[in-house]
Amino acid sequence: MLIDYLPIVVMAVLAGVFAVGSLMASSMLRPNRPNPVKLSAYECGNDPVRLPSGERFSVKFYLVAMLFIIFDIETIFLFPWAVSFRSLGLFGLVEMAVFIGLVFVAYVYIWRKGGFDWSAGEIAPNEADEVVERERALFTRSEQEVAKPPDVNEWQGAGRAG
Amino acid sequence: MIPTPALEFRPILPEILLCTFAIVGMLYEAFARRPDPVPHLAIAIVGIGPAAVTAYALWDWSGPSYVLGDTVAVDRFSVVSRFVLLGAAFVGCLYYTHYASRDPGSFRGEFYPLTLFATAGMTLITAANDLIVIFLALELLSLSLYVLTGITGRRRASEAAMKYFLLGAFSSAFFLYGVAMAYGAATSTKIVGVAAPGIVQALAGQTGSQALALLAMALLVVGFAFKVSAAPFHMWTPDVYQGAPTPVVAFMGAATKVAAFFALIRVFDVGLQPLTWDWTPVIYGLAVVSIVVGSVVAIAQRDVKRLLAYSSIAHAGFILTGLTAANSTGIGAAMFYLVAYAVVTLGAFGIVMLVSARGEEQTSLDAYAGLARRSPGLAALMTVFLLSLGGIPPTAGFIAKVTVFSAAIGAGNWPLAVVGVVASVVAAYFYVRVIVYMYMREPAEGIESDDGVMPRIAAGVLAAGIVVLGIFPGILTGILEPASIVRW
Repeated sequence: MLIDYLPIVVMAVLAGVFAVGSLMASSMLRPNRPNPVKLSAYECGNDPVRLPSGERFSVKFYLVAMLFIIFDIETIFLFPWAVSFRSLGLFGLVEMAVFIGLVFVAYVYIWRKGGFDWSAGEIAPNEADEVVERERALFTRSEQEVAKPPDVNEWQGAGRAG
Repeated sequence: MIPTPALEFRPILPEILLCTFAIVGMLYEAFARRPDPVPHLAIAIVGIGPAAVTAYALWDWSGPSYVLGDTVAVDRFSVVSRFVLLGAAFVGCLYYTHYASRDPGSFRGEFYPLTLFATAGMTLITAANDLIVIFLALELLSLSLYVLTGITGRRRASEAAMKYFLLGAFSSAFFLYGVAMAYGAATSTKIVGVAAPGIVQALAGQTGSQALALLAMALLVVGFAFKVSAAPFHMWTPDVYQGAPTPVVAFMGAATKVAAFFALIRVFDVGLQPLTWDWTPVIYGLAVVSIVVGSVVAIAQRDVKRLLAYSSIAHAGFILTGLTAANSTGIGAAMFYLVAYAVVTLGAFGIVMLVSARGEEQTSLDAYAGLARRSPGLAALMTVFLLSLGGIPPTAGFIAKVTVFSAAIGAGNWPLAVVGVVASVVAAYFYVRVIVYMYMREPAEGIESDDGVMPRIAAGVLAAGIVVLGIFPGILTGILEPASIVRW
């Protein structure tokens, strides 16, 4: 029975051989001319922006990402249903209506609770002082670090000159 | 045309009702002008009551044993669990309504919908006949409980919620991997298949290597052991019990254990029944470790919520002791234990909530000093619950321990019963210590008892139930006997 899984092993081996082989081949065949621009994330001219104080995002982005996933999943379910709409018949229609209804309820809840409001509802009333203190500490530190010019631009400029 | 299975919704009507009223509560919370617990409580009760009625209607079910494409089982086993779980949800909602009235600023109406969703997951998991449905129900109850744990937004609660979430997600992955392995072993995720052979039929007919089935068994054990907080998968329990708001702990501690154990019984005693000789030693080992770790570590605890958490680990071990019997006697014993445990846990955490009017911070043993003088009623109720947890007659805890030990001895596992009895003696020390604090110490200064009436009545009813069950256990065993035969 385990022999049935042999194609998976073969596939994995082939994938590994291909990855290692192509890297090795290109390192042997290509001309070696190192250049700082080649190390930048996008070679199309956009300077990558380094975020202040390490890798911090506003927590609001995470909320947006979570909300996005809700509607993303809705679409994921809608597509296969649309493709096989005729063969699923009335049952499929009712089930999909229930599903969309549930997502809509979630949407109404988020909307009423201010989930789409970028500036509202930052601090829970019972935690105000602690959070304000923490945010303030974070804010002052990130400001200081922004004032210092990031070193990204330095070698970027040098690269262009070279 | 893709064929759809025959649609028979009556067996999952309790879950449908719970989810419907959870959504109603959610929409009410979205549109309510000001926070008010009373309409929320009313919506929750309107959901729980009819759910209990529809569950009761399934007691004398004459239709097929497995419905909705063999994914849901209809039996008395699941009816019993639904009753216990719905009761726990009801008491949890009552507690929270009082808890929120102490500090209206911290009130979150989401408690009620989340509790109903969690209950729907719990009741579904005990009736599910398909590992995928079990996983779905497990996630529904887990995700709701993660949020409930952190619902106050206080630091301790958020920390507990985070720990619970991370470890819970990890254990869910184990469970899911086990499901995949079970599918590999049996080419089905149904526990019992009617239309096509399910796991039990496939495994019973198998000769040759059982490596995949054993791997599936091991991974499923990990997933369930986490949920029932059996050692060595218990690490989250003390932190979560300590950090979470007390009404949530009351509901969670009682209901999660019941739901996870009922699902465990169905998966192991029915689905993996052909592997009984392989899984009983595992359950045996888990039982020994849980009993010893829970009972010994609890001695060192000075926080009552942590103490009850370690005690819950030990109780998971006692319930597993009954399950080592792997027959309907063992299942019946475990069910009796679970019912008694759920009632006691709900009551004990109700008292923990009432001991101090300022709640969360004062759960240390010192807050219980002289409680009998401060509020004799609370001390008396707490004594009943602690005696039942310790397994001292005439409480239900005593009968529960006797039944699980006799089930284990009946199956020839007498060394396990010896370990259990010795650990019970050890455990009696820390239960009695709380009683000593309550009755023989000078009252702690500056702590006022909460004078909530509704939780007192609830805890009083629960305590009365414990004593009645301790004296007349036949009331419950008569109900459990027909329910403990899980059909396949």
